[in-house]
Formats: sequence, C-alpha cells, structure tokens
Amino acid sequence: MTAADSSTAVDVARLEELADVMLPAAHGMPSASEVRAVASFLDEVLGWRDDLRLPLIKALAALDPATFTVEALSAYLAEDEDAYTALTTVVAACYYLSPVVRDQIGYPGQVAKTYDPFAYTEWVADGLLDPVVERGPIWRKAPE
Amino acid sequence: MTYRADVLIIGAGASGGVAARHLAEHGFDVVCLEQGDWPDRSSFPGTRPDWELAIRKDWAMSPNVRNRPEDYPVVHDDSDIEPLMYNAVGGSMIIYAGTWPRMLPSDLRVRTLDGVADDWPIAYRDLVPYYDAIDRQIGVSGLAGDPAYPPHDDYPLPPLPLGVAGRRVAEGHNQLGWHWWPEPNAILSAPYDGRRPCVQRGVCTSGCAEGAKASTDLTHWPKATAAGARLITGARVNRITLGSRGLATGALWLDHDGVEHHQEADVVILAANAVGTARLLLLSADDRHCPDGLANSSGLVGRRLMMHPFSVVTGWWDDQVEGWQGHFGASITTYQFYETDPDRGFVRGAKWALSPVGGPLNHILPMRAGNEVWGSDHHVLMGRTFGRGASWAIFGEDLPEESNRVELDPDRTDSHGIPAPRVSYRISDHSRRLMAFQEERATESLRASGCQETAVASMIPYSGWHLMGTARMGDDPASSVVNSRQQAHDVANLYVADASVFVTSSGVNPTCTITALALRTADLLVQRRREQKVPA
Ligand SMILES: Cc1cc2nc3c(=O)[nH]c(=O)nc-3n(C[C@H](O)[C@H](O)[C@H](O)COP(=O)(O)OP(=O)(O)OC[C@H]3O[C@@H](n4cnc5c(N)ncnc54)[C@H](O)[C@@H]3O)c2cc1C
Ligand code: SF4
Repeated sequence: MTAADSSTAVDVARLEELADVMLPAAHGMPSASEVRAVASFLDEVLGWRDDLRLPLIKALAALDPATFTVEALSAYLAEDEDAYTALTTVVAACYYLSPVVRDQIGYPGQVAKTYDPFAYTEWVADGLLDPVVERGPIWRKAPE
Repeated sequence: MTYRADVLIIGAGASGGVAARHLAEHGFDVVCLEQGDWPDRSSFPGTRPDWELAIRKDWAMSPNVRNRPEDYPVVHDDSDIEPLMYNAVGGSMIIYAGTWPRMLPSDLRVRTLDGVADDWPIAYRDLVPYYDAIDRQIGVSGLAGDPAYPPHDDYPLPPLPLGVAGRRVAEGHNQLGWHWWPEPNAILSAPYDGRRPCVQRGVCTSGCAEGAKASTDLTHWPKATAAGARLITGARVNRITLGSRGLATGALWLDHDGVEHHQEADVVILAANAVGTARLLLLSADDRHCPDGLANSSGLVGRRLMMHPFSVVTGWWDDQVEGWQGHFGASITTYQFYETDPDRGFVRGAKWALSPVGGPLNHILPMRAGNEVWGSDHHVLMGRTFGRGASWAIFGEDLPEESNRVELDPDRTDSHGIPAPRVSYRISDHSRRLMAFQEERATESLRASGCQETAVASMIPYSGWHLMGTARMGDDPASSVVNSRQQAHDVANLYVADASVFVTSSGVNPTCTITALALRTADLLVQRRREQKVPA
C-alpha cells in the first residue's frame, strides 16, 4: 500500500499483475514487473499526478487480474474512460521511467543539444533549396 | 486610489504585450489588467522526468483540464474543436509552438479572388512594415527568399536546424517537385536581445525554460514596464464601463480575493484573445445602451469564430531520427497546396508544418496520430515507431460562418462567478473536403520521403489553438465590429488588438499577424492621438 489512508491506498501487487498483462516480456523487452516499474515509480507518478489516484483505484477494483486480458482492457475504455485513462497512464509512466526500459528504447529523455546556427549555409550551398527556388514564385497576386 | 490612465489594456498576452510596449515607449500612461500571473520559468516541466504527465494535467493546453484559478472554463459541448489557451503574462505564447509565418496577399482578398467570405479592409502591403518590425522585436529565425511569399526583409536570425527528419522530407519534396522551405520560428537560433538560443529539447508547448521561444513576458513586458507601463496581475476584468457620451470609461475588475476595483482610462484596448474578448464584450451588455453586448450593433460580436481545422499525418522511417527532439515549432513547411486550385473541389488551402512526435508516452497514449496498443504487440509498435517519426501538422483555412460563435453560458462560471464563454462550432463540409485532400497529399509526401508507415489523425478535436474572428474588422458598421484601425464602430475609444478582428483565418498560424496588427493599431493610435475622442 502506498498511502496510510486505505480509501486512497493503491493495491500495488494487483496493479503489478495488471501491468504485466499490458506490458509483458516480449520481443526483447522486459515485462513491467521485471523492471519493477510499479514498485519503483508508483509513488513518484502519483506524487506528480495525484488526480489519477482515485480513478486508478476504481480501475483496480473493476478489473480482476485473474481474468484480465488486453481485450478486457479495451472493453473497459467504453465502460469508464477516466479510470481506463488513469490505469494506462500510470502503468505507461511507471514503465517508461525505468532506466532499463529507456536504455533499451534508446531514449535519454528530452536533452539539450548544441548546434552551429550557421550550418544551414552548407545545405544551401549544396543546392538543397535550388529546385524550389528555380521553380519561381508560387504565391498568388491579389488586388490591393 | 483610482487614477485615470491614458490607455487600459485588458490581457497581457501576445497582442496586449506588443501594444503596451509601443504605447509606453511613445509616452502613453499604460495600465494592463491580466487575470494570470508572471510565469515562473523554474516551474516549467520540460526538463523534469514527469514532463509527459504534466502536459496531460497541470500543463495541459486546455484551460478546462488545467483548471487553475486564473483559468476560466470554456464550455465546448457543441463544438467540433476544443479551444486551447494559456492565461498568464505572455498569454498563450507561453505554450504556443512558436511557428511564425506571415499571411499571404491572397489571404486578405478571398471574396475578390475566390468568391467566398469577405475581403479585409486592409491589404498585405499595409502589414509588411509591421511584420518586419515585429520580427525584429520577437527575434525570428528563418531564411528569406521563400518563393511562396512576396520578397521581404531577411529574418534577424538564421533558420533553426532542419534535423534528420526535416532534411529527409525536404529531399522527398525535391523528388516530388513540391515546395518546401525552412519554417520561420519565433525561437532564437543564436543569442539575441539578452536571450539564450534554443537547445532543441522539444518541449516548447509546455513552456520554454531556456527563454529561447519568444513570448511577450520576455520580449515586450520588461521593456513596456521599463518605459512606465503598469501591469497588474491577478486582475480579472468582468465589465467595460461606459460613460454618458457612449465612450468607454475603463473597466471593473476583481482581485484574487474577489474585491472589485474600477480602472479608469481614456482609451480601452481589448487583448484577451478571440474567446476572452468576445466574452467581455458580451459581459459588458447594458440594458440602456447595448442590450446585446458592447460594440455589438452589428450583432456580430462572438460570431464567425474560426479555429483552423487541424489534422496530423505522421510518418515513420525504419531507422532512428530522434523524433522526440527538436523545436516544436516546425523544421520545414510547405505551401504546395495553399493557394486555390479550382480543380480540387474546394477553394483556399492549407499550410503544413513538420514537427517532432514527442516522448514515449506520446507514442503510446497519443494526443496526435497513432493508436494505443497493449500486450506483446505494444513492444512491436514501440520498436517500429519510437524515435523514428515526424508529423506534418496541417492547418486548413477556416471560412467564417455566423453560426460558429462564442456566447455566455447560462450556468457555468469562472472562479469569480463570472459567466463562462460557451463555444458552438462545426467543421463545415467545405473544410472536410479541403482537409481530406491535404491529408492524402501529406501521406504521399511522407512516403516519398522514405517513411515505411504513415497514420492520419483527421481533424482532431483537441486543437483549438488558433482563435479568430469574433469581432471582425470592416468598413461597414452594419457588417463588422471594428474598423480597419481596430477601433469599435460603436465606441470611439474602444479598440480590439487580438485576432477577434480577423476577417478570415488564412491557413497560417496567426500570431505573427496578430502581433503585427497590434503594433499597427498602437502605432496608429500614437499617430492620431490628438484626434482620439476620450471621456470627459
Ligand atoms: C498549444 C498552443 C500552440 C500554439 N502554437 C502556435 C504557433 O505555433 N504559432 C502561432 O502563430 N500561434 C500559435 N498558437 C496561438 C497563439 O498562442 C495565439 O494566437 C496568441 O497567443 C493569441 O494572442 P492574444 O493576445 O490574442 O491572446 P493570448 O495570448 O491568449 O492572451 C490573452 C490574455 O488575456 C488574458 N485575459 C483574458 N480574459 C481576461 C479577463 N477577463 N481579465 C483579465 N485578463 C484576461 C488571459 O489571461 C491571457 O493572458 C498556439 C496556441 C496554443 C494554445
Ligand atoms: S526546443 Fe528550443 S524553443 Fe522549444 S522549449 Fe526547447 S529550447 Fe525552447
């Protein structure tokens, strides 16, 4: 449980089970539980987005891990969009915060880059724009 | 203590900031009332790990989702598009993408050229000196010589990087024989006016912590206040007051605690955007002088709302292009299908802007193109698409219709109990034809650029970032709200500086034109100050 008050506590074990159906180990990627996505990042995610807590709890109450499938998840969207959104957002956010997952998909986060602002002179000199310029004006004249 | 200002500006966003700086620098005593606060760049989420979570709630583009005290709700149950905006010093520029195209000569003459809607009472030529001046104030990065435009002054800064995706699509267009050009952006490619350049982090629509993306809290308000303008934040205006001679005398406003104040002024300028300005004019109705709303003898206040139907076509290559990185903003643009071609079954056209696709959450919980996929196929999808894509953002020209409008909602209110605006808006059949054509061409563009896979998100509802037309400009008081100087026909000391005055929408992002017009309005006020009627 992540919160003292049981009415706002999230059943982590249950969420992990659902998360493994949504994000199983496959195609070289780890499952949600293999990278301890929920266990490691749930508190952080709900710290940032406390508004997701109650709809997430609703989703956990409605979806039984014993019978949960990807099809059941799709069907749940039509039933309760807010709870569905909370579940998918929290699971995805926890998973893609994992450094292991980020490393595997090659995502370093949104990083600052440096570049030469005058590098454009090279592709202009190489003629990248020449065909556009050679075709001439394409704007339509209008009476004043 | 109340005092009377020369000019009261309502709204400290794009248009308000530009007008305030020009007027203050020309000796006017300016007061601005802004319901939001100064933005705190250290709180912007783009450098934080929760960035993609924040943009779905506290930093959402929709005021209804953010639901901060300074936001007012916009009721949009009867609208195909949800209006989006930001309420703070700098206005919606805090979260805008920063693409900075000018309108084209034909945009102001659609009645004459295409037999639809109306011509503007001004011409492209009237805007050019103000476009040039505003580009220098803002610090625009771009490349002159685009054959889609009449020749104009060079931009103050070199264009931003094309990126891998921009380069590939440029080459694709060269093969197709289609136009492309580096997009002008209100984003610095090099240091300028004490500001730092863009670092390509790609989080522009949740605030630029670097300060590289222009917004008037950076580019205009510091200079306006240095010249003596007074900016009062946390000040929500609920009515423009009228005097006995039918002139505006100022505005009533509420502070954070709900205490009402009156700011008096000789001239009032509305700069609250096309939803906020229409709302205020309607809120200022008065049974004796203007029962249907202030400056509304034409009945057009709130009507002719235009929002640019918006589609996204995303393409994915079979290798990495770091599709999460790069200004957002656009790297390149095309006007290949902008001007009218009668063979297409519609008039006018659309402008496209090539943008990054965002981080992992945006791929799997897409706000633009793509589907949610769970289970083992999720990893297949991510493997195929993540970091490999770019999106054509397509802005279709939206022709004005009187039934598309802003009214006051009878039930919903903001946190001060002031009636909220209600937006009714339908995308027309004409727009649907126009957008379907553009989506097909954009798919061809990305295929020709080497993309293996493409997806179309057609006319997405969460896209009302361009708000225009609710107090249109015109020469005839019977069919327009303001004249060509943006002065209300009915109230000689009331001006509208924002895109409410747009007669038609063009197919380009509006803020370059909004700010050029705001500068022009302020400049004409300075030039004609002696003729200006003011209350006794
Ligand atoms: C996500 C997003 C992306 C965008 N991208 C682009 C882009 O790439 N290029 C482009 O050209 N445009 C873009 N835009 C549009 C651009 O931001 C707007 O066109 C521009 O900011 C409008 O300027 P404005 O002065 O009319 O209004 P705003 O900038 O919206 O400012 C209006 C101000 O008035 C204040 N206000 C309103 N009502 C009251 C009241 N009753 N009392 C006191 N204050 C009030 C508001 O708080 C706000 O600060 C984008 C917009 C969004 C939301
Ligand atoms: S990409 Fe550039 S403009 Fe956009 S947020 Fe980053 S630094 Fe600012």
